[in-house]
Amino acid sequence: MITLKDKILSGVMKPTRYTGGEMNAVLKNPNEVELRFGFCFPDVYEIAMSHLGLKIIYHTLNTRTDTWCERVFAPWEDMEQEMRKHNMKLFALESGDAVDTFDILGFTLQYELSYSNIVNMLDLAGIPILAADRSEEHPIIYGGGPCAYNPEPIADIFDFFMLGEGEDQVHETMDILKEWKRDGKRSKRELLERLAGVGGIYVPSFYDVEYNDDGTVKSITPNNPHAPAIITKRVMKDFDATYAPDTIIVPFGEVIHDRVMLEVMRGCLRGCRFCQAGYIYRPLRERKPDTLLGLADSLLSCSGYDEISLSSLSTSDFSGLPELTDGLLKITEEKKIGLSLPSLRIDNFSLELMEKVQKVRKTGITFAPEAGTQRMRDVINKNITEEDIVKSAGLLFKGGWTNVKLYFMIGLPSETDEDVKGIPELAGRVLDVYFAIPKEERAKNINITISASSFVPKPFTAFQWVPMNSREELMRKQRLIKENVPSKRIRYTYHDNKTSYLEGVFARGDRRLCKAIIKAVERGCKFDAWGEFFDFDKWIEAIEDCGLDPDFYAARERSYDEVLPWDHIDIGVTKRFFINESERSKQAQTTQHCRLHCSGCGAAKFGAGVCFEERGGNG
Amino acid sequence: MAKYILKYGRDDRVKFISHLDFVRCFHRAVRRSPLNFEFSQGFNPHPVMTIAQPLPVAVTSECEYMKVGLVTELGESEIVDELNRAMPPGFVFYAARQVFAKEIDLTKINMAEYIVEIECPAPADVSVIMAEKELVVPKKTKSGIKDSDIRPHIFEAEDLGYADGIQTLRLIISCGSSYNLKPETVVTAMEKYCDGFTYTFTAAHRRRMLIDFMDVI
Repeated sequence: MITLKDKILSGVMKPTRYTGGEMNAVLKNPNEVELRFGFCFPDVYEIAMSHLGLKIIYHTLNTRTDTWCERVFAPWEDMEQEMRKHNMKLFALESGDAVDTFDILGFTLQYELSYSNIVNMLDLAGIPILAADRSEEHPIIYGGGPCAYNPEPIADIFDFFMLGEGEDQVHETMDILKEWKRDGKRSKRELLERLAGVGGIYVPSFYDVEYNDDGTVKSITPNNPHAPAIITKRVMKDFDATYAPDTIIVPFGEVIHDRVMLEVMRGCLRGCRFCQAGYIYRPLRERKPDTLLGLADSLLSCSGYDEISLSSLSTSDFSGLPELTDGLLKITEEKKIGLSLPSLRIDNFSLELMEKVQKVRKTGITFAPEAGTQRMRDVINKNITEEDIVKSAGLLFKGGWTNVKLYFMIGLPSETDEDVKGIPELAGRVLDVYFAIPKEERAKNINITISASSFVPKPFTAFQWVPMNSREELMRKQRLIKENVPSKRIRYTYHDNKTSYLEGVFARGDRRLCKAIIKAVERGCKFDAWGEFFDFDKWIEAIEDCGLDPDFYAARERSYDEVLPWDHIDIGVTKRFFINESERSKQAQTTQHCRLHCSGCGAAKFGAGVCFEERGGNG
Repeated sequence: MAKYILKYGRDDRVKFISHLDFVRCFHRAVRRSPLNFEFSQGFNPHPVMTIAQPLPVAVTSECEYMKVGLVTELGESEIVDELNRAMPPGFVFYAARQVFAKEIDLTKINMAEYIVEIECPAPADVSVIMAEKELVVPKKTKSGIKDSDIRPHIFEAEDLGYADGIQTLRLIISCGSSYNLKPETVVTAMEKYCDGFTYTFTAAHRRRMLIDFMDVI
């Protein structure tokens, strides 16, 4: 039988993006569940299927007999056109059913540049964009993930946000939703009032935002007795016992991270001042090597994957690493499986480890000094010295690696031209290390690549008050690097910083930006993280047509006493700590990591993880 | 070392999987199964397999073949059962036959039987194309699109009826490495040679793969 879907899929690229049916995808009988949940990732299949959070929420929800969680992704342009031509609504991959009849849709908010796709997906689903325009008959729309910590630019779209870790929270939410549905879905307000009582749930319509004459926020006040004045993120205290899926969907087509991912720990102890992830996931908590080896075994045998990777923000800080890698190497050697180890510091231990790992191709290793001079690295609290870098480079070159990528940021607070020139100079020093090694002891064809991205100040970092460099300034700095590259062996690649600028606008944006997002989508903006779709001028026009100045958000210095649009959200780490870190950064003073010294950031209030370990060093 | 010919197929659920994606999918199924497959040497060891003919995207089938190697001899039904357990829903393995030397040569496959559904406002008279001496249509080759006479490559064409805007045909046409004819190319010839016939969409199902009109196993 020829179906409409067959006809459409025969004409689009990568049709398996839309067919579902992969190994370990969960199929249920819709008549046997009470709740239909759509896990929405506002990007294309290959990106969405690489996301660890999806795997966790999808499988934990599907352990419930009352719920069917399905995947809902943004169709690529060609598919979207076909769908619109044939009035086909946005559908879920497992059942193929349109999502406008689902009970709840949860969007993961991974990057600001996916906001346009959220609006576009709701439109494609035939669901009103604004929460205020949706009734009890529409799916409840919520968001979670890193951008939910300042969700203000999209606050009017969402019924609620889940702040922090969802493993427990999502079940509490489903229980409340089920009760509300059984009670006859009396009013959406009543549901939201019940949800507002769940720890970490933020219902934006229950808060009024007032502005000062200069456009800054005056106050954020609850307008509903059920809404807490401050919403504190959720943290899974016992991370080792926290749900981790022992099964994984295996895509037919290749996706970005096409392998088993083991989340060895959550949070980071380093305290790099620019890094939002480093703060919002605090405190650092680890899984036990035994737990991880058990997971590795079941994930590999249920998937047939031939590669496994460790996932964390800084794998070298995982205290169980030697034990875990010993155990993993046994599995990987026996089953002919590749082990990949991202986020490792380069030292003797990691090099030996990489030698042991079967599938290491001695090409391509990325270092992240982040900044070119020691002063600048101290400002951002990247506790790595030039000596560390030189030593690591020596180890790498002697070990046979010749392809080294050095990753930096430009536009950091207090950055001078000397700091910028320090970037190519550091690359030059790394090259000198190579040439200092006798010819017999090093591999041929050295290749060093400098990659420098534009720094975007983010909420909940020590740099949340600083202005972002203008695009012109960033371009000037890019040229400065280019002009100072000391050798033809060093390649410098740079790209346009328009997307960074827009990211800068939304990262620290407020509720007034929502109209601009909707307007930009009406004018055709979508897939902004993809060069072939990104239309900067259209975005700026849309923002300005709403009477807003993008520089107000991206390029303005805030004072410490300004009310920030995310001040009603509590990640544990306190504003007082960030102010302190910001001041220390101005003096180029570093702060030690959590295992050496507790700086009292505030995350200890969650009662978990590294905050309660014995300290290995002294203050 | 034991060599086996496997016969398998796929239904609508998995018909949009490309040849390369199918190969990867099978590799993973082997790793999921307890079967003791022979692996290639080298950097990325993978199960040794030779697929008779790639199955085009959007085509379903009940007659695909591949040759594989197992380190130790195993019961034919056990292989079939384990693979059926390990493959995603939509694939089915029908048979495994142990082969010695070159008694079955998959490279000798030269024809296939298809059931073709054609969405068209009115059915074509298939006898017209069978009566033609020559059917010259554009055909995709390695060096681009070229005119080719496909008449010698159509062995049987039977009209199975017309209902609800769909004409169904049974075709036996060339398939294999020396000349591979796609069912849709036959339909383009029908459009050219059958007066007034037009179509909007075709779907194909491969029912048999043949070596000189004989089933492979």
